[in-house]
This record gives sequence, C-alpha cells and structure tokens, in this order.
Amino acid sequence: MLKILNNSVAFAIGVIVVGFVAFAYSASVNKITDFVIFCIYVLGFDVLYGHMGRISFGHTLYLGAGAYGAAMCAKYLVPDPFLAMAMGIAAGAFLGLIIGPIAVKTKGAAFALINVAFNQIGYFIVLVALARYTGGEDGVSLTFNSYGFVNFGNIHFLFAFCLTCLVAVYYLMHRLYGSAFGIMLLGIKENETRVRFLGYNTSAYKWVAFIISTSVSAFAGALFVINYGFANPGFMDPARNVEVIFAALIGGPGTELGAVVGGTAYMVISNYLAKYIARWEMFLGAALLIIAFGFRKGIMGYVRELVEKRIKANAMAAEK
Amino acid sequence: MAEVVITARGVTKQFDGLVASSNVNFEICVGDTVGIIGPNGAGKSTFFNLLTGLYIPDSGTITYFGKDITKMPPHDRVGLGIVRTFQLVSVFDTMTVLENMMLARIRFDGTYGKKRFFLRNLLKSREVDGCMKALDTIGIAGKCDVKVSDLPYGKKRELEIAIALSMDPKLLLLDEPLAGMSMVEITEIMDIIKGLKSKLTIVLVEHKISKILDLVDTLYVMHEGQIICSGEPNMVICDPAVKECYFGRDNVCY
Ligand SMILES: Nc1ncnc2c1ncn2[C@@H]1O[C@H](COP(=O)(O)OP(=O)(O)OP(=O)(O)O)[C@@H](O)[C@H]1O
Ligand SMILES: [Mg+2]
Repeated sequence: MLKILNNSVAFAIGVIVVGFVAFAYSASVNKITDFVIFCIYVLGFDVLYGHMGRISFGHTLYLGAGAYGAAMCAKYLVPDPFLAMAMGIAAGAFLGLIIGPIAVKTKGAAFALINVAFNQIGYFIVLVALARYTGGEDGVSLTFNSYGFVNFGNIHFLFAFCLTCLVAVYYLMHRLYGSAFGIMLLGIKENETRVRFLGYNTSAYKWVAFIISTSVSAFAGALFVINYGFANPGFMDPARNVEVIFAALIGGPGTELGAVVGGTAYMVISNYLAKYIARWEMFLGAALLIIAFGFRKGIMGYVRELVEKRIKANAMAAEK
Repeated sequence: MAEVVITARGVTKQFDGLVASSNVNFEICVGDTVGIIGPNGAGKSTFFNLLTGLYIPDSGTITYFGKDITKMPPHDRVGLGIVRTFQLVSVFDTMTVLENMMLARIRFDGTYGKKRFFLRNLLKSREVDGCMKALDTIGIAGKCDVKVSDLPYGKKRELEIAIALSMDPKLLLLDEPLAGMSMVEITEIMDIIKGLKSKLTIVLVEHKISKILDLVDTLYVMHEGQIICSGEPNMVICDPAVKECYFGRDNVCY
C-alpha cells in the first residue's frame, strides 16, 4: 500500500482522472473544470511550501500574472488560446525570474511578506496603473479562436483539456520530486546551511524552484481565463491567498496527491458549503485552526502515517 | 618544507561586541593533523565557521593553497575540497541514510547539472556513484534504507563523517567528532581518523584531550577568541597558561 502511495504514479493519475470525470459528470462539468485548474495552482504553490519549506502569502500575484498574460495576449495580440497560455506561463516565469533572487534569500515570515508586498504592487498595477489596458476593476472579457474540435468554448473539450494539463503537471512534479533536484529541495527545507556545506549553491536551486512554482501557478491563471472568458483583478487579489494556503494545508503539503486532494477539498467546501451556510468562511477559519494545531500533515499525510504504522506492525508481527 | 594548505592571518570576528575570534593566526601543511582545544565558548567553532565561510571575518585574511578565499561562499570552498562536520550532528533526519549520501554525492555524478539532474528518478534508480562505498567504509551500508531520525546519535555522527569523506576532501575539519559517543563508537571513530591521517589534512576540535594527544602533530589552544599556545601536544598541555584557562584563576586561588 505504501509502495502504491510512493511509487505508483500511474495509479495516482488513474484515481485523479476517474475521480474527476465521475465528479464532473455527476455534478457540473463547468464547476469541476474550475476544481481541476485550482489543483494545478495548488501543485505550483506546493513546490515552495511543501518541498522547499517556504510559505508564500502572495501567490495570487503569479496566478494573476498568468491570467493577465493570457488575457492581454488574447485582447491585443491574437485570441489564440495556446499562445495565450504560453504568454501566461511566460509572464509567471518572468516574475519568478526577477522576484526570485530577492525572495529566496529569505524564509519564514520575511518570505511570506515579500511575496505579499509584490502581490500588492501587482494588484495596484492591474487595478489602477494599467487600467487603460486591463479594464481596471471591470477587467476584460475575451473570446478565443477555435479550430475544429479544438474549441475551448465547448465545456467537454475544455474539461478534458484541463484534466490533461493537470495530469501533465502532476507527472512533471512527480518526476521533479524524485530527482536529485527534489531531494535537494527537501534538504533545503530541513537544513539549508547543511546543503550549502555539501557544496551546492542553494540560492540557485531555490531560484529555479521559485520559477517553477510561479510558472505553474501562472499556467493555472491562464487556464482560468480561458475557462471564464474574462480576466479581472480578483485573480490577483492579495486577500485571496488564503485559498491556496488552506488547500495545500488540508491536503497535506509535500505530496503531489496531497495537493490535488487539498485543492479538491477546498473547492468542495467553498462551492457547496457556501450554499448551505451563509458565513462559511467562519468554518474555514475554524478548520484552519484545527489543521494548524492537530492535523499538520493534512489528509494525505494522515493516510500515509496510518499505512506506515500498519506496515511497521506487520513487519513486527512477521519477525515474531 | 611541505606545502601550506590553509592559512589564517589576523582573523577577527565580533558578535555584538563579543570578540569570538581575535587576531587568530593559523597554518596547516599538507598531510598534517592538527588539534584545537579550549574551554567552552573559546571560539573554536567560530574559527571553523570562518575557515569554511559560514561567517566572513571582520578583518584578516584566509588563504587556501595560496589563494585568497576570505570572502568566498561556503559551497565554493567545498568545491575546492574544504569539507567539515558540525558540532551538533547535522544530517537530514527526514531522509534515509542512502538519500543523505546521495545528496552529498550528486555533485560527483556524471548527470549533475544536466537535464537528468531534474528528471531522473533517483529514489528508484539508487545509483549515484560512490554512495555505497562511502557507507561501507564507515560500516553503515546495511542501514541504507533506515530513516535517519530512527538512528541512534552515534550512528548519525558516523554518517556525517561518512558523508564528509565521500566528498573528496583535501582539508577535513571535524568539530568534536567524539562528543556524545559511546566508548565503542569512540574507538571506531578514532580508528577511522587514524586511517585517514596519512591521506588527508585534518583539523580536529575536541574536548576529549587525552584521546587526541597521540593523534595530532600540533595542538592549538584557544581561549576567549585567541590562540594562547601552540606546539607539540604533550608540551602544550603542560603550559601554565593552558592550565590556567582550563582550571581558572579563581580555582587556583582557593
Ligand atoms: N552566531 C553567533 N552570534 C552571537 N554569538 C555567537 C555566535 N556564534 C558564536 N557566538 C559566541 O562566540 C563565542 C564562541 O563560541 P564558539 O561556538 O566558537 O565556542 P567553542 O569554542 O566552539 O565552544 P564549545 O566548546 O562550547 O563548542 C561564544 O561566546 C558564543 O556565544
Ligand atoms: Mg564549538
């Protein structure tokens, strides 16, 4: 069982695909497409949080950069969905490239706050400074080209496309975390000084991880824009950072599957609980408290622990 | 006259007015084994941190084979062969023994810095050059899949030494390698260090003075950030100034 959790990426991907397809066609394809994209965002966030031990309170900047990168491309260049995606990712990567060297020098609260600071700047830029192009508070609405069956206006195609993207990102992350680079990130999380004294320029690796994280988050932003057909400052709102943090926490930081489980769990709570309970955010707050104090490893961490315990017990029994 | 490995000239480091390292002059030649002793808080670890680049001295210079490395970042010094262990055992608790060793050895792997560095599944392939050999020399190869947090303290220290040895050191700095070890483990570690003596240049900080007297060629004594005495080990420990710093003036008066 632990082997499956650890190694069988095919199994995990199977579960994700089957789960989301079943969910989408029993609930609402539109809504579940949102869930899928959000999971990509959580995967991007968790590169820094779960693997490098750096929590960013300003990740909507990168989501928003992807959203506006895609939107500006579609509005002023060509409304090609693929080019828009590429521009969105490029925008996120660019921000990672320039903010990274400053941000990764810090950790803990300083890292969290530096990201918020840049997030605020970005929010101001899209809301006020460049309002002439971004449409300010109203944002911009867009239509994208379609080519035969490659039609992002078709919810079934869009859903399938986003799910494929999630699987691709998931697989990429899986490869990354199993590699030398992944081990190095875990080392940096636990004891960065020690990694430096193994002869590695940790700043460079942290920078690379930062760029990967911002690019993946931006990719999610671009997909959101294609899904909604508009971009507005809400994508970059610093106040919405709690969403991705909560999702990463609840799923279990540091595992790919945890990010997807957490992303889905958060979306379920925020989409469905909100229907029944007017001030559902209060429950979110309570849940955060519970996680912070008693459930640090999240759902996947908890599952893993249970399985590990079982295996240890079995091994002990076998020895006797 | 053998070639000089590392030289410290007038190295000084202050922490908020506390002079942790005060005008330290130090030199070690190729193949030598040197010990540094001194009471708690004397500045021994600080001196290691200065040599390895964790701290940059306020004044003074450090040269390595004639090259000025005073301001060189730690990872570059490691690349030159300056390898250290820490006083507080410093290995990765959340990883297995083998993963710890892999992390140290990736740098020497042919794929390092290439695309495969990011994508080759290391955990599955387990084939990073020289890992098992390094674990073998220190006798913990059998524990390679054990999580480090499950290892006893002494084994962690041995692992840290194995890691240091696996990194092709030219200059090995060991900060209290015997601290917290059982008698058996002390003997094991001493045997390892003795085996290295002919191959490496070693600086050793240690509180268990009696254990290292026969091992080191030269002994330095630090006190309040200064080197107060150095020379042939058995002569040094008889020096009145050394006795005084260990037993204290007050004790002598009473
Ligand atoms: N980063 C730091 N910030 C402030 N003070 C420090 C720092 N590092 C060391 N010191 C101080 O410098 C002095 C020398 O410390 P150091 O650790 O070098 O002593 P030591 O000789 O290694 O002692 P021990 O035998 O206890 O390991 C101590 O008074 C210590 O409190
Ligand atoms: Mg010390």
